[in-house]
Amino acid sequence: MTSISAGTASVPRRRSGLRFTDRRKLFLFCLAVPAVAYVIAIAVYPLAQGIVYSFYDYNLLRRGGRMTFVGLENYRELLTDATGQRALINTFAFTFGAVVFEFVLGLGLALLLWRDSRFNRIALAFLLIPVTITPLVVGLIFRALLAVDYGYIGYYLAEWGITDPRGLFAGTSTALPTLIFIDIWEWTPLVALILLAGLKSLPGDILEAALADGATPAQRFRLVILPLLLPTVFLALVLRMMDAFRVFDSIFVTTGGGPADATNSMMVYGVKQGLQFFNIGYASAIGNVTILCIAFMAAAFALLIRRADVRANET
Amino acid sequence: MTKLNSTARRLGAALLLSTGLAGAAFAADKPLDGVTLTIASQNDQFAAVIAKLAPQFEEKTGATVKVDILDYGSLLTKTQADFVGHTKSYDMVTMDIVWAGQYADNGYSVDLTDWIKRDAAELQIDDIYPAALKYIGQYDGKQVAFPFAGYAAVMAYRKDLLDAAGIKVPETAEDFVEAAIKLTDPSKKIYGFVANGQKGAAVAQDWLQYNAQLGGSVLNAEGKPVLNSDANIASLKVYKELFDKAAPPGAVDYDWGGREESFRQGLVAMMETWSVGAPGYYDPSMSNIVDSVAITYTPVGKGLPPKFGFGGWGLAINNDIDEKKKEASWEFIKWLVSPPVHKEMNMLGAGSYIRKSTLADPELNAKYPFLPIIAKSFENADGDYRPRIPQYPEIQDLLGTAVNAVLVGGADPKAALDEAQKQAEKLF
Repeated sequence: MTSISAGTASVPRRRSGLRFTDRRKLFLFCLAVPAVAYVIAIAVYPLAQGIVYSFYDYNLLRRGGRMTFVGLENYRELLTDATGQRALINTFAFTFGAVVFEFVLGLGLALLLWRDSRFNRIALAFLLIPVTITPLVVGLIFRALLAVDYGYIGYYLAEWGITDPRGLFAGTSTALPTLIFIDIWEWTPLVALILLAGLKSLPGDILEAALADGATPAQRFRLVILPLLLPTVFLALVLRMMDAFRVFDSIFVTTGGGPADATNSMMVYGVKQGLQFFNIGYASAIGNVTILCIAFMAAAFALLIRRADVRANET
Repeated sequence: MTKLNSTARRLGAALLLSTGLAGAAFAADKPLDGVTLTIASQNDQFAAVIAKLAPQFEEKTGATVKVDILDYGSLLTKTQADFVGHTKSYDMVTMDIVWAGQYADNGYSVDLTDWIKRDAAELQIDDIYPAALKYIGQYDGKQVAFPFAGYAAVMAYRKDLLDAAGIKVPETAEDFVEAAIKLTDPSKKIYGFVANGQKGAAVAQDWLQYNAQLGGSVLNAEGKPVLNSDANIASLKVYKELFDKAAPPGAVDYDWGGREESFRQGLVAMMETWSVGAPGYYDPSMSNIVDSVAITYTPVGKGLPPKFGFGGWGLAINNDIDEKKKEASWEFIKWLVSPPVHKEMNMLGAGSYIRKSTLADPELNAKYPFLPIIAKSFENADGDYRPRIPQYPEIQDLLGTAVNAVLVGGADPKAALDEAQKQAEKLF
């Protein structure tokens, strides 16, 4: 028996000239090839091409679409030009405003829904409705609601003198907060859902021990729940941050980046440069700066998650 | 068996011959049999009408015509991608008057100059307004598209409101501003004026119209941008005054649709607009002002020569398609602009005029009483107040942001136009 199995094992080795570990490696490599090819085709190649284009003055509509190498000029232009700076500031302001409020409200909701009851389960289902609507449609709905001529909300807000008679989207100081509000309306339930999942997976014995030791609710939250929940908190924050930073749909259909440049975001600016003016070089630079910003923030959060994870496990 | 076979063979041959002859006769009748032409069309009033008339062309020539109706943004993006990628998705493209520079610069479309010369008699070229031929498609000595839908900038107003206030129909831009402010009474929800205020193309195009009438211009005589000229700054101040004192509050966020709707709903006394929208004011199914609306010339600044804004669409033939399809497309264009078809197109509400005979047609005049205003405007047309240069989209966007910032952001007109000028200079 032993000799037979040894014999069968030795035959293919002689045929292919490869050892078992090499064959295994080859097999695993073959398995990975389709996935790697897919990633190269849809992510790496466009990204690399975008990086190359960003060093060129390349407009499809002018000079027959010829490319001229300009080095870092597109990046310099983006970071020194008033419109580019405004877009970058707006995007950070939008992301910060939206994510902070969504976290605070989402945590509150999650704590309220923590206790497992029939009411909470039904409430959660209703709360998730905004998440199921496409951001573009959400934008269109709010645009209609807030219109001063016929909007159910906008008309009365203007009529009662609560807002400017021209409406919330028409004011340079109110347009961006209104868009942040829309984002909060749509995405707070998602943050609540993620945090709720985190809360439900907290170890019950630690919480019971804290209760037995006579910790007040505030102490339990600050000293037990929050440290244990931190990895989930960071996960929720990083997901929302990445998503909010590339906001496009809701702005595009409500203000188009206006009034003036008050709500111009990086994605709105990039799409305009790339798909309206076909300014491929400059649009690529805008896209790359956006990716870099998201990558830095995501890396920072990833680091925080890891540290929080280690600490939570130590506790 | 052999005999039968030979008879059958003879019969078969005769049958084949007769079928062949009939086929040849059929082919002579329908020279474009089997050809399919695809048009990328702007979603203006003419689009549905062209789609409706296309089967008539098929009946006459055998060519099938498909009309892909797109909104302005999609039309621009899809057709540019088609031209740049040489994918030949579209045989013909409706070309906005302001795209002529780009088309000529990049050779996107067939230069029709020689074909127009060759077929001048068939086209009855003298019947077509020279302004239509010049502005819709002529650029740098090339004819990059053939006009089929000319629009005149006109002023639509409410006779009842002007009569009630004892105000004469304004003939100068100055009178217009004065009347607009006088007619405004927010407590009754009546406003003297409305125009597009929304950031981007909407506000830029409307301001450029008023700007031209007040003596401003985008380019100087050398073709260089002068966005911050004194005349432009002065006209922007007037435009802001109109928005502050005479426009419905929501107008700062209106694009064409919002502007037209506010007028049709009876909120507004006077509005400058494209003639193509005029049939809608007389349509009771969508308008509250059917009996009180009237159309007249756009008022020009005191002492300035009478010039009326001209816009519209031409049909351009994709330069990438094969010769046979190019010729077939040209046949379609000639058919579409031929006097009988063009009349039918306008009877169906296309609002697209290029021919003197169409605008003078009694049947059309009975249906649309404002046609003489369009005819007179076409004779003094200015199709260059929105410069048809390759850089136009970017200039329009710069102005769209600057003017919107002045209207709603409280920016100073001079500062806003100075900034736009700085950006515009980089494009040249």
